[in-house]
Amino acid sequence: MDNLGELLHGFSIAITLPHLALMVIGVLLGILVGVLPGLGAPNGVSLLLPLTFGMQPVSAIILLSSMYWGALFGGSVTSILFNIPGEPSSVATTFDGYPMARDGRPTTALATAFGSAAFGALIGVILITFLASWVAQVALAFGPAEYFAVYFLAFASFVGMGGAAPIKTVVALAIGFAIAAIGIDTVSGSVRLTMGVDELVKGVNFVVAVMGLFGIGELLVAVEEEFHARAVSSKIEWREVFRAIGRLPRHSVALLRSAAIGCWMGITPGGPTAASFMSYGIARRFSRRGRYFGTGEVEGIISPETADHAAGTSALLPMLSLGIPGSATAAVMMGGLMIWGLNPGPMLFVDQKDFVWGLIASMYVGNIVAVVLVLLTVPVFAALMRIPFVIIAPLIVIICVVGAYSVSNSYLDVVMMLGFGIVGYLFKKLFYPLAPLVLAIVIGDKAEDAFRQSMLMSKGSLGIFFANKLVTCLIVAGIALLLLPLVLQLARLWRKPASAATETTAQEAAREKVTI
Amino acid sequence: MISRRALELATAVLTGSFGMAVVVSSLDNGIGWSSAGVDAGTFPFLTGTIIVLGSLYNLVRGVMPAATLASVPIAITSIELRRLAGLFVPAAIFVAAIPLAGMYVASALYIFAVLAIPRQQSVPRALGMAAATALALYVVFERMFQVSLPHGALAAAFGF
Repeated sequence: MDNLGELLHGFSIAITLPHLALMVIGVLLGILVGVLPGLGAPNGVSLLLPLTFGMQPVSAIILLSSMYWGALFGGSVTSILFNIPGEPSSVATTFDGYPMARDGRPTTALATAFGSAAFGALIGVILITFLASWVAQVALAFGPAEYFAVYFLAFASFVGMGGAAPIKTVVALAIGFAIAAIGIDTVSGSVRLTMGVDELVKGVNFVVAVMGLFGIGELLVAVEEEFHARAVSSKIEWREVFRAIGRLPRHSVALLRSAAIGCWMGITPGGPTAASFMSYGIARRFSRRGRYFGTGEVEGIISPETADHAAGTSALLPMLSLGIPGSATAAVMMGGLMIWGLNPGPMLFVDQKDFVWGLIASMYVGNIVAVVLVLLTVPVFAALMRIPFVIIAPLIVIICVVGAYSVSNSYLDVVMMLGFGIVGYLFKKLFYPLAPLVLAIVIGDKAEDAFRQSMLMSKGSLGIFFANKLVTCLIVAGIALLLLPLVLQLARLWRKPASAATETTAQEAAREKVTI
Repeated sequence: MISRRALELATAVLTGSFGMAVVVSSLDNGIGWSSAGVDAGTFPFLTGTIIVLGSLYNLVRGVMPAATLASVPIAITSIELRRLAGLFVPAAIFVAAIPLAGMYVASALYIFAVLAIPRQQSVPRALGMAAATALALYVVFERMFQVSLPHGALAAAFGF
């Protein structure tokens, strides 16, 4: 296997003392932002981004991706111990994790969560190891039309599978596109949508948007509901840790199914949040003990955690090989890649072998480091949760303000960040999905460029999108995903038994929860 | 107290007016086809139109008493509104103070005000935390990472 040789070479890059140190730092910082409500992986990574500009790209990505693993793990800690999801993607973990911890089994709950999370991440990394260069080779045959088709598919799958109200998703996407278009147009060089504000010529940086949308927005959501943080014993009993992990193979069906859901949702940009909810829902339907879900079932913890981490990990595959991020964090990281002078996409596997395989090898090592550290730091972070919210909140505000300012030393960015905060709060409150908005801000102008280049090639004929099998498949799949919610709604109207009306309301309410 | 419906309407109006601004502004760049291919304003024009149409749909859905809306009639209660303001208003004042006072002084004042005025912490402790925050910012950004944060007009007047 060609890939295995490359991977071994990657390990020789990843397992060096400075890189291991970076992993430890990244994981610790990641656990910190994962544990803190109001800070998540996307803005944790964007905060660190300016600090990586002077680093080697491979060291920088190891730091950022380790932070990502840490944040994924950290989000589960508070979900289980305090019923406060530190991350949107660990909301589903609270359903069974918190009841189990409250029953006096916090160690079992945490160990089960970390064990299955590590399994999910492992499957995700293996998928990347074997598929990444293959996906990249296929992608090398891509022209502008195919690129546009893939972007189109990505956007369409948000609308079709994201779970939010479709029209709200479309509005969020379109707003992201419009924001991406602000500033100098790369094709014609003309200045667009600045509305007379000269400072907007440089465009709106995605870090500013992410800080506001996720940082300030989430803080406003959090302050609105009073915290009823009731700590349970957070002492770790080491024997129970190993016993809980030893019991995991008994649930291998749930593990494999959840990993498969997670990988699929990570590659198509459904994202970890949707993946964990979907996996939890399916597990509840198919498990023999389904009706006990919500009272501290082991599989109720395994399913969302495995899917969450599998999705979080495999979200990096389309980012690396196609230049399409599968999650908000991957989108932020991709911004970093471009700043470091790397071009995400198929050529990365040809030009930057050390970078790609160093990163992939670091994922194996980084996840092991993360599991060990997260178990060791549980008592510490449990103590952190006792710091009152009134002190944490202003500190988060300051972090966001400083972060937004330091992107390009612009005061306007700080004001815009606050504005994005209000938008983020409103959107969260009303179940507009934030991930498509961020996705469109990051790759909106690339999609537009691809579209305009293909229009130039075809002299304005849309036929170029049906010129060969590949592009036709992608476009048709995209259109199908776009129309799926419409078809489902029509089908529901068609049958519409009166008794089902109440059920659909409940389902809709549940679906709205999914998009938090 | 703000009802879910009012919030939906306000958001739809907000997104819709942003869409209108995008549509109007994109007309300056030209829409349609020219010798250089698709004109620069076309894509923004289309996205602006989609935003406007989508906002109109959300507006209409917000007005109509749909089942999901009826189940949560109140989005923000007055207590929640007060809590929101309690976080956001000081944050906005903090941001407004940055050009004058600079990042370090403004953030120290902000921390002090948020902790001491609602009597969350005793005055000496709040003072200590405020000083520690400003110092930490200075050490991490100005010293460790060489990122210069705004010092403010006041500091400039004193010759810093």
